[in-house]
Amino acid sequence: MQDEIDFDQILSQYRSDPFEYIEVKTSHTGRLQFKAKEEDVVEGVTGEWQHIKGTLLFHLERERNVKPVHSTVIGVVSTVERSLDGQFVEAGEKVMTIRHPLKKREIIERILRNVLTLFPAPERAKYFFALDIQSRIDKHGQRSISIRPGDEILTMSLMKRDTPVTYQGEPGIIHSVYFSPGETMDQGQPLIGICSEDKLPLIQKIIARVKSEWE
Amino acid sequence: MAEIISERLLIASEYQQALYSEPLLRPSVPPETAAVILRYGAMVGTEIEHLKQAPRCMDLARARIHACEEEDRSFASGRVIIADRLTDGKGRFLRHWHAPDGGLWMVLTLVNTLLPEHASLYSLAAGVACCETLRHYQLNATIKWVNDVLLNGRKAAGILTETMRGPKGGEEYVLIGIGVNVNNTSFAPELRNTAASMAEFAGHPFVLAEVTARLLAKLAWNIGLLHYAEAEQLAAGSGTSLNDMPHPLIAAWRSLSDTIGRQVRFGFNVALAPQFTAKVIDIDDRGQLLMRLADGQMVCENGGEIIYV
Repeated sequence: MQDEIDFDQILSQYRSDPFEYIEVKTSHTGRLQFKAKEEDVVEGVTGEWQHIKGTLLFHLERERNVKPVHSTVIGVVSTVERSLDGQFVEAGEKVMTIRHPLKKREIIERILRNVLTLFPAPERAKYFFALDIQSRIDKHGQRSISIRPGDEILTMSLMKRDTPVTYQGEPGIIHSVYFSPGETMDQGQPLIGICSEDKLPLIQKIIARVKSEWE
Repeated sequence: MAEIISERLLIASEYQQALYSEPLLRPSVPPETAAVILRYGAMVGTEIEHLKQAPRCMDLARARIHACEEEDRSFASGRVIIADRLTDGKGRFLRHWHAPDGGLWMVLTLVNTLLPEHASLYSLAAGVACCETLRHYQLNATIKWVNDVLLNGRKAAGILTETMRGPKGGEEYVLIGIGVNVNNTSFAPELRNTAASMAEFAGHPFVLAEVTARLLAKLAWNIGLLHYAEAEQLAAGSGTSLNDMPHPLIAAWRSLSDTIGRQVRFGFNVALAPQFTAKVIDIDDRGQLLMRLADGQMVCENGGEIIYV
């Protein structure tokens, strides 16, 4: 594993530039009007129920419907595609970049994504572990749960309809859980991170190293 | 056995009559459109199995699916299992579901062929069908989001929808479990203030086979509507979404619901862990609940439960 991924190099990259550069793209076509500029400090989603929107970034108007688009992360606006201001843009157009300062926990997660198999949410819905998986987690902890492709590990709850979610990926143990029961997860967001049992010592080493070296 | 068979034949015959009358009850729908919708919903009730008693209709449906797949047979989409009583009825979060004689306890199993955007509306379709059934008998039933059917604020019908993957072929099955309090008027002590029955509000009992047939016809219509709306959206061309073409089921739900404008308590499991109180503003084109919190912020939820406060 150490031969495949150079963690010294990855750590030094994060040390020299502890930011994530998040590209903000349009979700649909429309006429664009920027409401934030370069070097503006922006807030992400806050509130007890994640209900308070972040800083307004731009308006996207289509068919006389103006859609405000807000920042989902804390950070600073680093680039804005000024030439697009007032113009009609296509869906998926990159319009700005936000420089998001990474916390220690986020750096650990990003490094771990090199060794974990991330299992994404198939749809925007709420998720919880299948009953038998949850009871095993409650009894023995999540890292005692071995899963294989084809195992029904999660239940997706959407519009009062419960759908079992089958794991597709490398066999292994559940190392990281990225959702809470009752929390809405967007399609594509990672739900769990899986690793093979032989990678556990390496992962623990990475976590210990980042925790000790990062202020 | 003979009693069950004759009851099943009675339901089947009543169902045919109910289906024939559905378009006549919807004069605003052009006859040719109504015919298309009912063709799409025609699989509802392809097979009707009627039992005196069962632990849970959902578990029986799963067993039937397993048996079909083991034998490499196709499962008949639209199969209905009805039981006169359930001995181990369960709702969401394994809450006990009280299902004595006199009520309508059933599961409808569909092989899902809808795209995810439309398949997310199965629960709503079942709720609309149940509410329309009660209204057919001049009962002032309303829907509480997502699909609880109420009479004067008390629950007359409940729906539990689960999905199952076929063990061999990976086919996706949608199991819609429905319970309607028809003639059962006595409830467990903990339900006396929250449950209601059709007979109680009408002042007379109903012929259960007739109510069952009417519900099946309403299910055929509303499931058919899901397929019809999907076909229309696909015909409109790529890039068209539910945001661009209002779904007829959403309009139907709005006309039957008393949730919009209400103060509610919301939670994923609202009985055990309520999360917040808010005012319901509307549902969106996907049936998601739009609520305004006390601080004026809006939340949009696609899963969970509400209690009226």
